[in-house]
Amino acid sequence: MENKESLSANDSLKLIESMIHKAQNRFSENGTLYLLWGWTIFFCALVQYISLKYTSFSKASFVWLLVVFVMIYQIFYLSKKQQTEKVKTYTDEIIGYVWMSFGICMGLLSFIMSKLDVWILFYPFIFLFYGIPTFLSGAIMRFKPLMIGGICCWALSVAASFITSVEVILLLVPAVLFGWIIPGYLLRARFKSA
Amino acid sequence: MFKELDPILHSQLRLAVMSLLIGVKEADFTFIREKTNATAGNLSVQLQKLKDAGYIDVVKQFKDNYPQTTCKITPEGILAFEAYVKALQEYLKV
Repeated sequence: MENKESLSANDSLKLIESMIHKAQNRFSENGTLYLLWGWTIFFCALVQYISLKYTSFSKASFVWLLVVFVMIYQIFYLSKKQQTEKVKTYTDEIIGYVWMSFGICMGLLSFIMSKLDVWILFYPFIFLFYGIPTFLSGAIMRFKPLMIGGICCWALSVAASFITSVEVILLLVPAVLFGWIIPGYLLRARFKSA
Repeated sequence: MFKELDPILHSQLRLAVMSLLIGVKEADFTFIREKTNATAGNLSVQLQKLKDAGYIDVVKQFKDNYPQTTCKITPEGILAFEAYVKALQEYLKV
């Protein structure tokens, strides 16, 4: 592009439109974190369920310590991504805040549940909260699979209120499958094709 | 009576840069160059003009031993851009 000074009003508007379009049609989300968290929760949920149901191992919930290592990896991943990113958009920033608020709510929820000793509400609330950032991220990115994933989580929160046995853990599998894993692979495909 | 179009914005490359920056929080020099297909020299000159007018902030720093230039639109720049678009719309109503 040169620096033409004699633009008509129409040329100017077309240029503005095309540049805004170029900035907007930029897919920064490659699905990595969705897949990382999706497979981590998928693995932890299955291991915990199998341990509780078919083995005598009583400390099955220790598998969830894996989440701490994933969190540490995520911090490194995001700081590296931030350094190499050529552009920062308001969309990325808002989605970041949405997930941050989800993380804070999950932490607070765990604290409140343990304080009031109402663990029976834990799974319905997990799915309820989990659906919010998933649905909102899909709406902000205009990416329907994530919105559908969010709706699935809300449906699972209702289902979880009917299950009081250990099988409730298994609901995490469809939750992460529809909420993170499938949208994660679709986001990766969209990123590669963009 | 038509408003006079802002001469700082009424130029192809500067308008392209402002249109890119209006939709993002901040952008790297290489990103702007890729999207505008401008030469590095020409783009530098035009960014400096936008900076002198107070329409953008330019931050130069080093990242991993490489120089990095980041540009961000200022509140003044947003106002100027909005006024420019409004003036264009008035022209096109005729």
